[in-house]
Amino acid sequence: MSLLQVDKLTMRFGGLVAVDAVTLEIPPGEIVSLIGPNGAGKTTVFNAITGIYEPSAGSIRFAGHETRSEFHGSVAILLLLTGFLTAGALILLCNIESLWEVVITGNYQYRQVFQWKPAGVAFTTYFSENSGTRLILPAVLGLFLGLAGAWAVWQRSRRTPEVAAHAGIARTFQNIRLFNQMTVLDNVLLGMDTRLRTRFWHAALRLPLFWRERRDATGMAIEILRFVDLNREVNQLAENLSYGHQRRLEIARALAMQPKLLLLDEPAAGLNPAESQSLMELILQIRERGITVLLIEHDMQVVMGISDRIAVLDYGEKIAEGTPVEVRANPAVIEAYLGKSDAST
Amino acid sequence: MKLRFHWAFLLIAALVPVVGLFVPAAQSLGELLRPIFIMAILALGLNILTGFTGILNLGVAAFMALGAYVYAILTCDIYPFQFGFWPAVLLTVLVGLLAGLMLGLPTIRLRGDYLAIVTLGFGEIVQDSLKNMDVITKGTQGINPLPAPTFAGYVFRSETYAPWYYLFLGFLALVVLLNRNLQRSRVGRAWIAIREDELAASCMGVNPMKMKLLAFSLGAAQCSLAGALWASFLGSSGEPGNYDFQVSIIALCIVIVGGMGNIAGVLLGALVVVGCNSLVLETFTNFLKAHELISSTNVYTAPGNWKYMLFGLALILMMRFKPEGLLPSRQVKAELHPHEPPPS
Amino acid sequence: MTGWEVFLQQLIIGLSNGMIIALIALGYTMVYGIIELINFAHGDLFMLGCFAALTVVSLTGGLPVWLVLMLLLVLTPVFCGSLNWLVDRLAYRHLRDATKLAPLVSAIGVSFVFLNLGLFWGGLPLKVFGFGKAAAAPKDFPTLVSNANLLGSSNVEFTTKDLLVLVITVPLMVGLTLFVKRTRAGKAMRAVAQDRLAAQLMGIDANRVIGQTFLLGGGLAGVASVVASLYNNTIYFQMGYRAGMDAFTAAVLGGIGSLPGAVLGGLCIGLARAFADQYIATRWTNVIVFAILILVLVFRPSGLLGAKHREKV
Repeated sequence: MSLLQVDKLTMRFGGLVAVDAVTLEIPPGEIVSLIGPNGAGKTTVFNAITGIYEPSAGSIRFAGHETRSEFHGSVAILLLLTGFLTAGALILLCNIESLWEVVITGNYQYRQVFQWKPAGVAFTTYFSENSGTRLILPAVLGLFLGLAGAWAVWQRSRRTPEVAAHAGIARTFQNIRLFNQMTVLDNVLLGMDTRLRTRFWHAALRLPLFWRERRDATGMAIEILRFVDLNREVNQLAENLSYGHQRRLEIARALAMQPKLLLLDEPAAGLNPAESQSLMELILQIRERGITVLLIEHDMQVVMGISDRIAVLDYGEKIAEGTPVEVRANPAVIEAYLGKSDAST
Repeated sequence: MKLRFHWAFLLIAALVPVVGLFVPAAQSLGELLRPIFIMAILALGLNILTGFTGILNLGVAAFMALGAYVYAILTCDIYPFQFGFWPAVLLTVLVGLLAGLMLGLPTIRLRGDYLAIVTLGFGEIVQDSLKNMDVITKGTQGINPLPAPTFAGYVFRSETYAPWYYLFLGFLALVVLLNRNLQRSRVGRAWIAIREDELAASCMGVNPMKMKLLAFSLGAAQCSLAGALWASFLGSSGEPGNYDFQVSIIALCIVIVGGMGNIAGVLLGALVVVGCNSLVLETFTNFLKAHELISSTNVYTAPGNWKYMLFGLALILMMRFKPEGLLPSRQVKAELHPHEPPPS
Repeated sequence: MTGWEVFLQQLIIGLSNGMIIALIALGYTMVYGIIELINFAHGDLFMLGCFAALTVVSLTGGLPVWLVLMLLLVLTPVFCGSLNWLVDRLAYRHLRDATKLAPLVSAIGVSFVFLNLGLFWGGLPLKVFGFGKAAAAPKDFPTLVSNANLLGSSNVEFTTKDLLVLVITVPLMVGLTLFVKRTRAGKAMRAVAQDRLAAQLMGIDANRVIGQTFLLGGGLAGVASVVASLYNNTIYFQMGYRAGMDAFTAAVLGGIGSLPGAVLGGLCIGLARAFADQYIATRWTNVIVFAILILVLVFRPSGLLGAKHREKV
């Protein structure tokens, strides 16, 4: 069974078809590279997989499920709750003044004991007398608005990046997107966020769970930084790192998510041959940890050196797929990269 | 252990009344500091939203008004509730939490600038509604008089200022502690990440919607607390006109001038901005009045009429020249010491 | 008046006020379209335009009405446009590449400065300003255009004022559309709005074009202030907030960045206000406008005629 199943994925932006019926199958434990000329749609495929874009057509299944939140009972409860809250708020809004007059000021004598019973009676008679406009209309309107609004908001948040992240997909970005004002350690700790259980009251009140988890998380983060060889820069601000180190930090942050699938978007861009070599070793070590890797890369040394399989995109279509040897010799691939008349590799 | 600015500030503030026993000038300073403490709590509430999470809220005065009126309704004896000080404050904070949640729910997915305008509108709506619902809020009269706070039997009378001073200072210290704890935790990290790069944060699994809602609720709760304390201080809910856009902007100025996201900066900002507003402007006005330089028909001579101009210029100049504020956040300080062990 | 006549009357009032709101909304939407800044100060710019108009009127005391109107329609937009351009040059230009928050906060600062200027303006020792005795009080704007009902003795009133609104705003909007679509400057504006870097690479001076946008947007606010002053006959230094809020809601309703959207939104908000005033209660009108804003932002954030916003990763 494949870990990631991309089935006839199509992405349309206005009139432009950026990705055209692309099918990819990524079995667990492999390193798969996605290559192709610039503008072929590779990053767009990544963005669709990680939930940044909603597919125009086709499906994306990760570990058997579609990468979007399903309609559970809990969602229904939330929608209904919002509906009732809005209805209540609207009823309150329309009636609060008269209700106050009838229940409170009408029944309360200054500095005397408040009579609860007549207040309660006044409350119920108020609503039973004017139930049409005062109760039913705002209730129905509020319920409808609340349900519709919550539904609209929920629909827009169904396929969002955090859903994919929670499912076990991590990524790096083509243009490095680190949290520049945060330290190296904090960046990695942020990556770990899905695994943490500290809630805001634990943090505010410094309960034992907070201290325990912080100790454990910091330990794990430093271990990950050691894995990518950044443990000497723990307290450095992310924006002060060298370019190569920043790339590593992005990978460390993604690893902190303990993902099943790691998407790397041009990790070797801008690296010199020595750095590329250690990047290749790093990716192989990541695979040894049991993480499947999907890689976008232009550096053919890296691609040919570590990929188990390669898929080639051009103008949004998949034009070839296979082992490095097969793809290398594929005439369509050669044509895409080098043009028709040039037959050398 | 390094003494951080905010603890130093609180420590010094705690000593003012003690000094005031011997030096009368310090005593009058202490009396003037109490509103500053309350404004600091308000600004810290705004700081959670704007400083940490990067959400511009231009209507914090609405939550302060809500807090003041809820507290007033709960404690004044023209209404049957008549809770004590502490239960009333607790309930007010809870109402504030709920109000923040309710404002946040429909608006949380909006882009920053849209959200700013929505909060601006919200501020106006709340003020309008408070004025219009005069059956409950007594309109421009306000709800008064309010009973003085009590603590274990001791009643805080308005004549002696020192216990009040410590009461408000205590609340401020508590708020500073809670905010600082949140800032240096998973929650604070998530907020700052959202401020820096919301898309990257959500790709890492942070749920921006939930965290922003949390920021909204906690920020609103704090602003309501400031309102409750303010009402207790005044002995009245005040009138709706007191909680207008000007208050929201003062809070914003405090956060921006002091340093966004930096708790110590907010404290410093409160001192500077409110100090300027109430102390400097007032003293200057009194000085001019004493020398008969203020004419009632000439609008230019009253220093109070220059307030908007001063605030506006302060904001423009800060953004142009020192957008990180007077006290830049700790992150910048960390830059200077990259090899020290992680801060506690 | 029969129910139908009441409805028609509110329709006329709503549309007239709506056109004024539309003019202000156009200024908002143009600036937002080009630099993604919500110009908080725009409503207060409108307010300053009203004060400028009143000053012009006071200085041209004895002149014939048509001449005064001409002067108003020339001088006030020039004043507002230049002020807007100046503010961009001084406050916003340096913040082009800063975080989103910085220009926003700057705009708030400018709004405050304008507010104070309005307060001080009302304190000028001129007759129309009450000789500066009550700077903060509302000022009367002289009735230059009569209230005469053009529909004769009908219950429904369509006055010369309403006609004035139409006569000024409609050609202006047509002219604006032509300008943006046909002229080079207009094309440059649209180019910079779509992709500033690409426009610069094509040789367009982005800062100059942005300045021109501010000039044009300010000019529109200036025209709006003349029309509003003539229509409502009263100005006060806090009127910028309400006008700005209505205009922003209109711009969002129509789809921010879209010029026809701003006009459509303006008309909708004007009508909403008129009907809310009549059929619900004046004190709830502002709440209703706010509710409209929230509903639009929840259900259709891109507005009626706007385009969807997609972030490039």
